[in-house]
Amino acid sequence: MGKYLKHPLGQAVLVFVVAYFLLDFGIEYIPPLLGWASAPIPNSVLLQYLITVGVGILLWVSDNDARWAEFKAPMHRVMVDPGQKTLRNSLMVLVPVLVAFATFNSVRPSVSAPTTLRAIHPSAPGQFVFQGATLQLAGLENPLRSQGSMEEHYEEGKRVYYENCVGCHGDGLDGQGHYAHGFNPAPLSFQDDNTIATLVEAVVFWRIAKGGPGLPNEGAPWNSAMPAWEDFLTQDEIWSVIIFLYEQTGNEPRTFEEEAGGGEAE
Amino acid sequence: MMAARPMALAVLFAAAALAAGDLSAQDGDDLGEVTYVRWCAGCHGVDGTGNGPGAEYMLPRPRDFTLALYQIRTTANGALPTDDDILAIIDRGMPGTTMPGWENLLSDDEKEALVEYLKSFSRFFTPDEVPQPLDFGGATRVNADVLAEGEAQYQALECWRCHGNEGRGDGESSPTLTDDVLDFPIRAADLTENWLFNGGGEVEDIHRRMLTGLDGTPMPTQADLITAGIIDEDQLWALAHYVRSLSPDDPPGITEVVRGVLFEDAPLPSSVNDEAWLDVERAYLPLVGQIIVSPRWFDPRVDGVWVQAAHDGESVAVRVSWSDPNNSPDPEWADWKSSIISLMQPKEGDPQDEGPTPDQLMVQFPMQMPEGMEMPFFLRGDDSRSVYLWQWQSDRDGALEGEARGFGTEAFQSEGENLTVDASHADGEWQVMFTRRLVTDDEADLDFVTGEAIPMALFAWDGDNGESGTRGAVSSWYFLFLEEATPTTVYVYPALAMLLTFLLGILVVRSAQKREREGGEVVSETAI
Repeated sequence: MGKYLKHPLGQAVLVFVVAYFLLDFGIEYIPPLLGWASAPIPNSVLLQYLITVGVGILLWVSDNDARWAEFKAPMHRVMVDPGQKTLRNSLMVLVPVLVAFATFNSVRPSVSAPTTLRAIHPSAPGQFVFQGATLQLAGLENPLRSQGSMEEHYEEGKRVYYENCVGCHGDGLDGQGHYAHGFNPAPLSFQDDNTIATLVEAVVFWRIAKGGPGLPNEGAPWNSAMPAWEDFLTQDEIWSVIIFLYEQTGNEPRTFEEEAGGGEAE
Repeated sequence: MMAARPMALAVLFAAAALAAGDLSAQDGDDLGEVTYVRWCAGCHGVDGTGNGPGAEYMLPRPRDFTLALYQIRTTANGALPTDDDILAIIDRGMPGTTMPGWENLLSDDEKEALVEYLKSFSRFFTPDEVPQPLDFGGATRVNADVLAEGEAQYQALECWRCHGNEGRGDGESSPTLTDDVLDFPIRAADLTENWLFNGGGEVEDIHRRMLTGLDGTPMPTQADLITAGIIDEDQLWALAHYVRSLSPDDPPGITEVVRGVLFEDAPLPSSVNDEAWLDVERAYLPLVGQIIVSPRWFDPRVDGVWVQAAHDGESVAVRVSWSDPNNSPDPEWADWKSSIISLMQPKEGDPQDEGPTPDQLMVQFPMQMPEGMEMPFFLRGDDSRSVYLWQWQSDRDGALEGEARGFGTEAFQSEGENLTVDASHADGEWQVMFTRRLVTDDEADLDFVTGEAIPMALFAWDGDNGESGTRGAVSSWYFLFLEEATPTTVYVYPALAMLLTFLLGILVVRSAQKREREGGEVVSETAI
């Protein structure tokens, strides 16, 4: 074993195999051991990574003439050495068969749904019509934050949420309601830091008011089950449920200053 | 001076917290109460009676903690649950109900405090009396004899009276079942869907519930039958194994695509009970309440359908199967229907007596195959994209073809000339088979294409559960994929690739050998 690992070809193969396992399985399974969420990488990305690794290995073995010659030697021997005839002939059969198998897998018909790309946060329009009145989205603030008692707004928002939203978005606001499994795309989790935490309240208001049917074209396919809540709820009910969403998850809405400031902040 | 500064800071922080309208917990608040009010009261109510704002949109209703009546326990029938029992339900939730699992949402401290707080709603829990779990023993091994014994016990103990002959919750008593407290209708469990069993679907869970009973429901304990010597412990395990065997080994994964199998040589199934269907793979599509268009519906009977599809290049056949305890309308279920309507409907507008309502099934496709990603709205399409519908109902022969551009705009052709249907109801299951030519002369029909994913959605109604119109179960878009005959190129390309690789290999080896022979001479010459 040690003999093979001292040889550049053995080392190259080892590096390649280790890289493959790390990329294909390591990325998926190692972070969870440390308590981090992870997911497998797509095959196309895996292929790109492996090509990069392969090129790196070739650069390294061909970096000086002696190592390059040593690297090639075993392959060369298999091709020319009369003593390796059996191995040579087996490879001559095995490699074409593997190629045929790979080709078959790539050309055989598969039953699959069309790939759909979908914008999770479709860009909001400058203005929109809410229950017949045109609202300018820029600068639209939650009026309840500057009037009445926040505790009452929260309680009212909770009522609205439990009467209307809990079925899909769940008691935990994690998108795991008892109807969530019936819908594709899945209902949004408000607990994630990349949903309502990255939005100004006006955008959340627009998404709730217009729902799936009000998504702009880049939000297609139109199978979001989110109703257009302007048909069911009053303006104040929507603003109060927005307060509930942020309070309950401990998220803070972005402000228009942050939105506009962005890169210019000192 | 030194002492005054922390004081001033504390005042400053308190003022800041007030100014920010901070609603979160203050020091000194009971963690159990804070957690309960924040996460549980929405359904169970601040006072624990199960009357939170969400309660009336749920059936079964949320638990009333003041009664200390817990269904899922490890303790004897009628006994209080252990702390671990309560904790287990908080962690895992109650599958098949609206109670979610909180395992990943609450910390251990919060859950522990919550258990104490839940107990404090009832005077029945006292520190002196600690409920003791029963001894359940270990599961026996399962084999064909055990299952036969279990089936015999299922008959002998008359489980079928509620759960039905094949376990679909369609027994003769099932329309009359109510819970002990509110007298609300309660469904006999559908034993073919163990992933929806309230207290877990594995054989140990089933066995445990047979011994403890489900307090507050019509499900009795079987423990006294063992005490009385009517059955022994192995027979109870056999019964548990038999009940477990009524469900699939694994809960059905949700498949996005229903494969329409190509029947190249054999004829398409000619009836709904044709044995040819046994060999056609089936896909499970979950259905949920229609909660988008008013009046909404929060108590759908149909929670999923099994779909099979086949075609022969000329016609397509689609068979849909689902659990439904009866063939509506059925006078036996009239009381059930009126109590469900009175419980679930008033919130959504005045209940209307529509007279007898049938069971229905609707299959929906887009009228035009979508280009790119723009599909019609999944609920009956929209203004710019219409949908094509197949509609069947239990009180009418035949099926209708129709078109819609949104809920309530359905227009059906007077006769579904191109669509035939065959339906059967037996042992709590509907099976409905539609057959249609792939391509018809009718302009108003969708032409089915092969080798492409055709969007498909399903809707189902149980008439005697008070369902009709917008009150029913819906799915979002799935896909029907009608297979094509495997083209010969699928075999030609690999063969070509193999040949080319082989020739290339020979070329490389030959040239290497040639160079070796020539080069070898050169080497030997220089060596000399």
